[in-house]
Amino acid sequence: MIVERPDMQVKVNLTREELEKAKEMLGREPNIVELGMIDIMWSEHCSYKSSREVLKILPREGEHVIIGPGQDAGVVDIGNGLAVVFKIESHNHPSAVDPYNGAATGVGGIIRDILCMGARPIALVDSLRFGFPSSPHARWLFRYVVKGIADYGNCTGIPTVAGQVEFDPSFERNCLVNVGCVGIARKDRIMPSVASNPGDVLVLVGGSTGRDGIHGVTFASKTLSEKSEEERSSVQIGDPFMKKLVIEATLEAVETGYVRGLKDLGGGGLTCATSEMAAKGGTGVEIELSKVHLREEGMTPYEIMLSESQERMLFVVDPKGLDKVLSVFEKYEIPYSIIGRVTDTREVVVKLNGKVVARVPAKLLAEAPLAKRTSKKPAYVEKLRDIPPPPMPENLEETLPQLLSSPNIASKEWVYQQYDHEVGIRTVVKPGQADAAVLRIIEEDGGNRGIAIKADCNSRHMYLDPFNGAAGALAECCRNIVAVGGKPLAFVDCANFGNPEKPEIFWQFEMAIKGLAYMARGLGIPCVGGNVSFYNEDETTGRAVKPSTEVLAIGLVEDLKHVTTMAFKSAGDVIVVVGKTFREVGGSEYYYIVHGIEGGKVPAADPNREKSSMNAVLEGIRRGYVTAAHDISRGGFAVALAEMAIQGGRGAEVFLDNMPREPMRIDELLYSESNARFIITVEEKNLDNFISLCRNTGAPFGIIGRVSRSNRLILRYESLVLEYDVHHLEKAWKMPIWEYMEGLRS
Amino acid sequence: MPRYIVEVLIENKKTIRDPEGETICRELINKGGYDSIKSVRVGKLLRMEVEGSSEEEVKELVTRMCNDLRIYNPVVHSYRVEIRGITR
Repeated sequence: MIVERPDMQVKVNLTREELEKAKEMLGREPNIVELGMIDIMWSEHCSYKSSREVLKILPREGEHVIIGPGQDAGVVDIGNGLAVVFKIESHNHPSAVDPYNGAATGVGGIIRDILCMGARPIALVDSLRFGFPSSPHARWLFRYVVKGIADYGNCTGIPTVAGQVEFDPSFERNCLVNVGCVGIARKDRIMPSVASNPGDVLVLVGGSTGRDGIHGVTFASKTLSEKSEEERSSVQIGDPFMKKLVIEATLEAVETGYVRGLKDLGGGGLTCATSEMAAKGGTGVEIELSKVHLREEGMTPYEIMLSESQERMLFVVDPKGLDKVLSVFEKYEIPYSIIGRVTDTREVVVKLNGKVVARVPAKLLAEAPLAKRTSKKPAYVEKLRDIPPPPMPENLEETLPQLLSSPNIASKEWVYQQYDHEVGIRTVVKPGQADAAVLRIIEEDGGNRGIAIKADCNSRHMYLDPFNGAAGALAECCRNIVAVGGKPLAFVDCANFGNPEKPEIFWQFEMAIKGLAYMARGLGIPCVGGNVSFYNEDETTGRAVKPSTEVLAIGLVEDLKHVTTMAFKSAGDVIVVVGKTFREVGGSEYYYIVHGIEGGKVPAADPNREKSSMNAVLEGIRRGYVTAAHDISRGGFAVALAEMAIQGGRGAEVFLDNMPREPMRIDELLYSESNARFIITVEEKNLDNFISLCRNTGAPFGIIGRVSRSNRLILRYESLVLEYDVHHLEKAWKMPIWEYMEGLRS
Repeated sequence: MPRYIVEVLIENKKTIRDPEGETICRELINKGGYDSIKSVRVGKLLRMEVEGSSEEEVKELVTRMCNDLRIYNPVVHSYRVEIRGITR
């Protein structure tokens, strides 16, 4: 709506009721600056006004949790005085409008979130979703999002080590760009984003403040429409070299011991940083805008308070050590300005040349009134679930190469070869080699530990069944961490949905969070943070994205010698399937690619089954029995087996009759995406030991065959034989994305 | 048909930052002793030879091409098309 004032009119996204509420809380009409501040802080993006109540059901406590949701990033204790700090965030809307700059500044933003906890960022993770790559628009977004991430990440010297790419027509115009960052910090140097002590000095550090990105947040809280074309100035330009300096200077400033609070300026700019820090500390702040270093002349208080210029951090500094902290910024030649002080008034007071231009209680800004949303099960859910199974394909043998060529399964080398994944010399497991990335923890006492990192979500499962889909995403993520030899510790999530004002969309969101909470409690893995992105829908077509709750989990690898990759290692190794296969082909890649069907009953998620499988595999890896491990997920058993053969460059002969399963057709057995399953290999001499581990944890298992000397992959089932040349499978799997991007495939 | 020399100058919009220009100004020029140079903006110049029957026609063609092929990024760039002469 438009709000009129004598001297100007402003467009705000507040509803009439919200505006009335703000007036009532303030006790008077807000002026233009105050209105802008309230508008931005009460936007969905800053306030979580639709999602807050629902998110409360996620378990947040755990023995390793140091800081849970509500801060800029989650913090988890990994022992030895160290902590892992991590977070995932969406940058969907800016990336849909300007893929290159949108994705690059997304990376910049998530790095700041980790940095402002006092941690050194050590790895980036990106989960991307686009329309099917046969579409030129989808390819354009895909190409430049990846380039934006690569250019920014590579320049800052932080390796991009893991991620996920999914293609589905629902992301055609609304791509999803979820960027995650993992950092490491000394436990005693973890920095809260809070201003607790009146008298402390506020120092704004880094890039100058310009007119860019004003209303970026309110932009992210709206659906994309034709009008977005005109709003393009909300997109920003990142400066990764400045970011690198800001990283080093921030960590050195924290090291002085005089920094008492730290927050990055992202969505909501100076308004968000000052009001949230004051509200959390039960204090107030007073700032003088004439002190802020600006990039453009004639900027108004409204613009300065709402600017979302990049590479800025707000430091709360003990006045006793101010000179020491400032000398660090001078050493790195980073611009800074002393903009004000922490007060005890519980108000955010903004002055220009000594004259008050805004005065708002910090809590009013930081704690927006909840938005009541109604929820209703969409009609499609039952209709799609109860479809009859498709007929047996005429040529079953062709379906495996066909699935390996699906862009959702095919090699993502085209993506990760653009990323520097080794800078920083911590990378132990590189992209594509194993189910999760592993980074070395550099420790003074010469420890040999690592952090396993993975992000997952299957948006088709989530669309058909948000509860099991989201629960399955967390389960899959944890299985991936287990497969490399890590013990999952905690996760963060990034929820991407359509317009929450539509009851059907809100139902998806509620069910997804319930599913996540169910799996998190069952596995004992707490949620330590996250981000919600709503309004991911195309206004002209009214089409929402498939719901996605991207899960980013981290795990601890106690000893790097445990690290296990997926490649078949030696001829003669015994192949074991852990976990039972159910007739759960609904939402599978097989249905979608081979039969063109989106429907059916998606795999159920059961924490107890997950635990028994994960415990057997993790213990087997730690004891050195397991020579290769791979989780079974998208594409089912046959795709997982083929990937192990392709990575190892050798074949195998397997007997599917030995798989633990419920009765089903052969195509269903090959491609069911049931949860709680792994394929592993063990040396013959360790087979009995591994089997007794499975018996102890109660994990169903089947000894199905051996790795062979030749390059033939042979699958036998009753009288049926499927035989492949591993090199042919490799070609089918390796080339598709390159071919799409080179225009050789459509 | 005459052949025109056409220049397309692409640079960041006035309100959009230019980190490359800022860095050149700060790190190279100012530190090199040229203090009176206060700002630098980096752009890209495409100089092309274009066949056409008139300046207007050529300018219209190049403008259309720039938009069609997204030769610039409309989100952050501004562009200018100028005729610089005729080669023959």
